[in-house]
Amino acid sequence: MSVAEPMAAAGASASEPIVAPGTPEVDAAPETQSVPWSHRHLLDVDRLTADEIDLVMRTTDAMREVLARPIAKVPALRGRNVTILFYEASTRTRVSFEVAAKNLSADVVNIAAATSSVTKGESLVDTVRTIEALGADMLVMRHPASGAPYLAAEIFGGSVLNGGDGWHAHPTQALLDLYTIREHLPPVPAAPGEPSPALLAGRKVVILGDLLHSRVARSNIWTLTAAGADLWLCGPSTLLRGFEAWASRGAAGRRFTVTSDIDAALRDADVVMALRIQRERMASGLLPSLREYAARYGLTRTRLAAARPDVVVMHPGPMNEGVEIAPDVAAGPNSVISGQVTNGVAVRMALLYLLAGTRT
Amino acid sequence: MSGREIMTADEIRRATVRISHEIVEKQAGTAGLALVGIQRRGVPLAQRIAESIDEHEGVRLPVGALDITFYRDDLSMIAQQPVVKGTDLPFDLNGLTIVLVDDVLYTGRTIRAAMDALVDFGRPQAIRLAVLVDRGHRELPIRADHVGKNVPTSREEVVRVHLAETDGTDGVEIERAPAGYGAPTVEAVG
Amino acid sequence: MTAGAALDRLAAGEVGAVIAELDIGRAWLVDPVSGREGAGELVVRDGMIEAITWLEGDEAAGVDPGGIVVAPGFVDLHAHLREPGDEDAETIATGLAAAAHGGFTTVCAMPDTTPALDEPGVLARVRAAALASGSPIELLAHGAVTVGRAGEQLAALGELADAGVVGFTDDDAPIAMAAILRNALAYAGALGLPIVDHAEDRALTAGAEAHDGYVATVLGLRGWPAAAEESAVARDLAVLADVVRDVPGARLHLTHLSTAGALELVRRAKAAGLPVTCDVTPHHVALTDAWLAGSRSWAWDAGADPWTDGSAVAAPYDPGLRVNPPLRPAADAAACLAALVDGTADAVATDHAPHTSVDTDVEFGAAAPGISGLETALGLLLAAVDAGRLPLARVVAALTAGPGAILGGRSRRRSFGFVEGAPADLVVFDRSDRWTVTPEALASKGARSPLIGRELPGRVLLTVADGRLAFEDA
Repeated sequence: MSVAEPMAAAGASASEPIVAPGTPEVDAAPETQSVPWSHRHLLDVDRLTADEIDLVMRTTDAMREVLARPIAKVPALRGRNVTILFYEASTRTRVSFEVAAKNLSADVVNIAAATSSVTKGESLVDTVRTIEALGADMLVMRHPASGAPYLAAEIFGGSVLNGGDGWHAHPTQALLDLYTIREHLPPVPAAPGEPSPALLAGRKVVILGDLLHSRVARSNIWTLTAAGADLWLCGPSTLLRGFEAWASRGAAGRRFTVTSDIDAALRDADVVMALRIQRERMASGLLPSLREYAARYGLTRTRLAAARPDVVVMHPGPMNEGVEIAPDVAAGPNSVISGQVTNGVAVRMALLYLLAGTRT
Repeated sequence: MSGREIMTADEIRRATVRISHEIVEKQAGTAGLALVGIQRRGVPLAQRIAESIDEHEGVRLPVGALDITFYRDDLSMIAQQPVVKGTDLPFDLNGLTIVLVDDVLYTGRTIRAAMDALVDFGRPQAIRLAVLVDRGHRELPIRADHVGKNVPTSREEVVRVHLAETDGTDGVEIERAPAGYGAPTVEAVG
Repeated sequence: MTAGAALDRLAAGEVGAVIAELDIGRAWLVDPVSGREGAGELVVRDGMIEAITWLEGDEAAGVDPGGIVVAPGFVDLHAHLREPGDEDAETIATGLAAAAHGGFTTVCAMPDTTPALDEPGVLARVRAAALASGSPIELLAHGAVTVGRAGEQLAALGELADAGVVGFTDDDAPIAMAAILRNALAYAGALGLPIVDHAEDRALTAGAEAHDGYVATVLGLRGWPAAAEESAVARDLAVLADVVRDVPGARLHLTHLSTAGALELVRRAKAAGLPVTCDVTPHHVALTDAWLAGSRSWAWDAGADPWTDGSAVAAPYDPGLRVNPPLRPAADAAACLAALVDGTADAVATDHAPHTSVDTDVEFGAAAPGISGLETALGLLLAAVDAGRLPLARVVAALTAGPGAILGGRSRRRSFGFVEGAPADLVVFDRSDRWTVTPEALASKGARSPLIGRELPGRVLLTVADGRLAFEDA
């Protein structure tokens, strides 16, 4: 996508009916009701159009409604096998995917690589082939090497959903982050006679922390700029390496700002997303110490005061409270961090549903 | 409209009013009734029926919207996932008589999916069915309690219902299916 | 008789057989030593070049450089033939077959075998394997600079020189310690042989996967800074400048340079009279790091941004693109091209680096770096010629006389041009034809190339080495 197309201002709050008949964005689908979703795999968010992102948002709305039912389950993926293959330790995301797949009535196989034959040296290619031979229709994978899901997608006959690869991408996280922001920030109303503006038009969104190693950040760059946000990246200069070149070119031409000045970054921000800082960054010489990082870049109540009073505070988790984010901010009134977890299941249900429709 | 008109706006209005009377008659009143429209066009129809009942009985029945997309039995056969339009049932189903409302009754598969969805929300006392058009060719043992108009059709034909709330005007037309039409759609699933 | 008809007469030839008679008529001859190119005819009899005739005026009409071209057999200064030690990836026999298919009649093997080529016994094994293969291709070898290529202690440079190596290198490792480099340059200089350095500061490239720039940032790949090559080259040149004061015969050759910065340093060093030479690879001339994002445009056609310029037509992260030094942005590729044009780069060397699929059918970060380049070198360079970016004469010179000069008399070939009365070392290729790179079409065993599936210009029809048949197009 080269232009940030206006996204439908589908910011229905939880108290209104989710869809009202006749609302243009609801009935936007053509008469045959086939969907503009043609991606067999979801490996990255860089090529999603504004329409496709909007479709994910609306489908997530429907999944949120399902999660609110007494029986939070629908048979949409009945008879399908979803195999989850995580090469990195992660309880929350792995379980989130499993819950999402089961809520759609899929059969789930959950593989944590540390316990499998991967530790005996089985290659990724062999593992994927075995999984396919065992009947998997969809493969959700997380891998420490950037690009690994592309290799899997080349050989896997069903759909591959990237649960995070190296430093590169975390599509479901970026989409759930966007969904969460959309939930908390009412869209700017359209001028009479004008089309709806982009979902985050006029909103300043700041991603703060270890950008260099963050796949969450890279994917959010694509989705937030596509939604029209005024995006700022902020962190110590050693952890911003390479992003200035990207910012000046833009994500598919959509520019953003990179700075080490945290006060400038936070000033009047509508959304602040704090990223986890890891101890290993010190060991590799990128930072003097975590204490210095916390002192200069930690998101504290004092620093947050520079942002808008109703600023939305987010964190993809797991958090190092007291380092990148102060405990009172993480638990404070601006924080939507726990909501991100709930939305995570709904977004993953939406994506599994959309991908399942593309099997040949 | 490109096909042959089989119901005018007035005919739709009269059928809707008649159905609303029949619903109350069958229930011997309005107590314990709720209307659930099936997305998309069943929803405005259900609203109209509720308004009509309000006019002649002075009671506003609860109205919900039901999206059956996730319950379709043909999801594995169609080329792309259908758009989800959303379900909103703002009342407790348990013990109520639910009248499902849809625009066209055809094979019966949509109604089967709707019943599967409803029971996931609770246990209604009874489920009835009101449709604007019954075009025959049932593939499941399903029948409507209230029918606006019976229209004999052939399988090569398509019945299109237009309602002001969704399409700008009221009317029902029938036409030959365009060449290559074969993939099941919500209308065809009926 | 036309070249096509002459070649038909060889249809039944066996690899290694002496060419009894070969008449190449009305083809475009390129002689990089005399500098002459044009319409001509060439006759080989009993393995020797019997006659070269340049055509003039009407006789030359209808013969142009876009058809059949005859050049001296190509010389590759840098090929990893993997034997001994990694014969699953390549053997000397398959490597020489690949060389012949690519038009090369002289190949210099690198010493990163197992065991390393750090003493004459290993060289003898390598030579024996070449002899056993029956290939007429001349196989030369570099000796290691340090024992086991471990970078700590000088190898038996004198013994290796006596045994006939053409130079010393620890490739694919750099000579990390400046003191070792200094001593090696001095010692080898007195032996009349060059030190070949793989210029890389490993402190800057630990864990690195792709050129440190825009593409690597977006793809989330660990960056390989240009400074790692530039700083190593700067250090090497400073040490060389020091050594030549004591040892005027010291020579440094920098292999597979890939950055504009490094090439500029060499340019200035040459202008100042330092005895340094360098080579660039065909893939650093023709490919860019945008290929990692899925682009498949040649470097000279590269757009500004593979995410918006529409050039991304393949899946990203092709592990076959992982190479050391990494593919660079278009500006660096253009600098490699410019270096070939102005002579800063003395030669093209393939850095042929085959691997088995076990090491390449993996995620990018785990892929073994290396491109099997012997068979695609000519095609990539001809693509640049077709695009008007490189004169054909420069390509031939960079593949023959350029590397030949660096070999400094250690080759059996007395000349890298056409010499009547000398054994025939030549390659005949058809520029009007194209071929598709497929694993079946490649003679290399570890046929890993990012060009698989791609059509390349120019088809090698015939390769003759030392007067004997090396390759004939089916």
